[in-house]
Amino acid sequence: MLALEIKHLNKEYEHFRLKDVSFQLEKGYIMGFIGANGAGKTTTIKSILNLIRLDSGEIRIFGRDLKQHELELKQVIGSAFGDIDFYTRSRIRTLTNVIKRFYHHWDEDAYNKYLKKFNLNENKKIAELSTGMKVKYSLALALSHGAKILILDEPTSGLDPVARDQLLDIFQELVQDGEISILFSTHITSDLEKCADYITYIDNGQIINSAVKEEFIDTYRLVNGKEEQLHLVQDKLIAYKTNSFGFTGLIHTVDFDPSWDLRSALPNLEEIMIYFSKKESLHV
Amino acid sequence: MYSLLIKELKLSVSPIFYVMPFLTGALMLIPGWLYFLVVLYFTFITVPNMFGGYKSQNDLIFTSMLPVTKKEIVKAKVAVIVILELLHIVVAMIYGLISILLYPNMDYLFFKPTLGFWGLNFVMMAIFNLIFIVMYFKTAYKYGAATFAAVAAALLFAGGAEWLGIQNSFVSDLLKGTGADNIAVQLLILIMGVAIFAIMTIIAYHIANKRFEKVEI
Repeated sequence: MLALEIKHLNKEYEHFRLKDVSFQLEKGYIMGFIGANGAGKTTTIKSILNLIRLDSGEIRIFGRDLKQHELELKQVIGSAFGDIDFYTRSRIRTLTNVIKRFYHHWDEDAYNKYLKKFNLNENKKIAELSTGMKVKYSLALALSHGAKILILDEPTSGLDPVARDQLLDIFQELVQDGEISILFSTHITSDLEKCADYITYIDNGQIINSAVKEEFIDTYRLVNGKEEQLHLVQDKLIAYKTNSFGFTGLIHTVDFDPSWDLRSALPNLEEIMIYFSKKESLHV
Repeated sequence: MYSLLIKELKLSVSPIFYVMPFLTGALMLIPGWLYFLVVLYFTFITVPNMFGGYKSQNDLIFTSMLPVTKKEIVKAKVAVIVILELLHIVVAMIYGLISILLYPNMDYLFFKPTLGFWGLNFVMMAIFNLIFIVMYFKTAYKYGAATFAAVAAALLFAGGAEWLGIQNSFVSDLLKGTGADNIAVQLLILIMGVAIFAIMTIIAYHIANKRFEKVEI
């Protein structure tokens, strides 16, 4: 079953455009949503939460259209924005008491359990929480109201390596039973190497690729060669960099010809991102 | 909608704004003062501070992520404004009653705090609501221009009404002279004022709804 299905989203702003964004997330999996700053991650996430009006396109959550079933679907969506704070001078207790009224399936026991697990003190004010704790608090809220899909915008940005690792472990624990699905955006690619099942990569408002992580990486090859070999393959490369030893470039696996006598390797996500953004700047 | 109203009252509106009516209301005890100002203090102090609070707390995005419709968001915000306005007017009315008892032989240059005068206050707030609510929900965060325009219009109404009360013998008689003791006439003005307040606020709500529907968060 699909937890999230996004079809042909289009949204035009003065200086930016989401172009025909489509991807889907299978129930019970973690999808990493990567892209450079300003690539359209937050805009896409905002449309999943119905915060912006789309020019065209369709969003379905658990098979149901978001526009038509907004209220019921919001009951099963949990969300967190890593970089936006709300009511920071209020205590956790006050905020929770207000928020829980909105959810039909609020589970007080689960809430207390998560508070304990995440070491959250109800008497603390939001402003007193560290960045990681704030994300954990959002998760505790989402899980206590029975959220089945978590939409998280940069939950790991601003976290120290230890907190990030902890959070990623929590994500993996959550999806274990196959009930909860997670979509989280990030520009920290090592997060995804640790825990994502699927990767969706957005660049300049367009989805470049959305696939199972291993497949995603396998779509590309990093090639190394001498400078004089460059003209042979230049047209096939997505982008390349030259240095005193020769060149390094990214290429689609299907375009790679083993007879070229070039060294090739699997790229990591960061390299894929960097070369794609380089391609972008070449065309501008 | 009920949960949203509780959210506004418990979380978004600072407790000071529930105390303000009792403080500003006490200005009714100044003998023969320009009593329109008492209710206007709500628009001078509470409105910009409260809406500044919404903005600084990122209330718009916080509220939009809850399982509520955009209509309910507007409805709850309008309801909070109305609740606070009623609180201001009703508390001021009570202080006004005390004021009349304290100074029985007062010669009023400005309006005496009669029921009819409170009816005019409702009209004043009706004008304020129509302009403020409609302008505010175009963006749902910019409150400066909306406050300025709405306060200016309310002031013009209050100033005009007081001017008529001094210049025009009919209005003067109605609210300061013999008409002031005619309970039926006074009650009628009050009821008309409340009706205008209700109608204008409902109209403002509907226009605000249409505008907020287009707002991107």
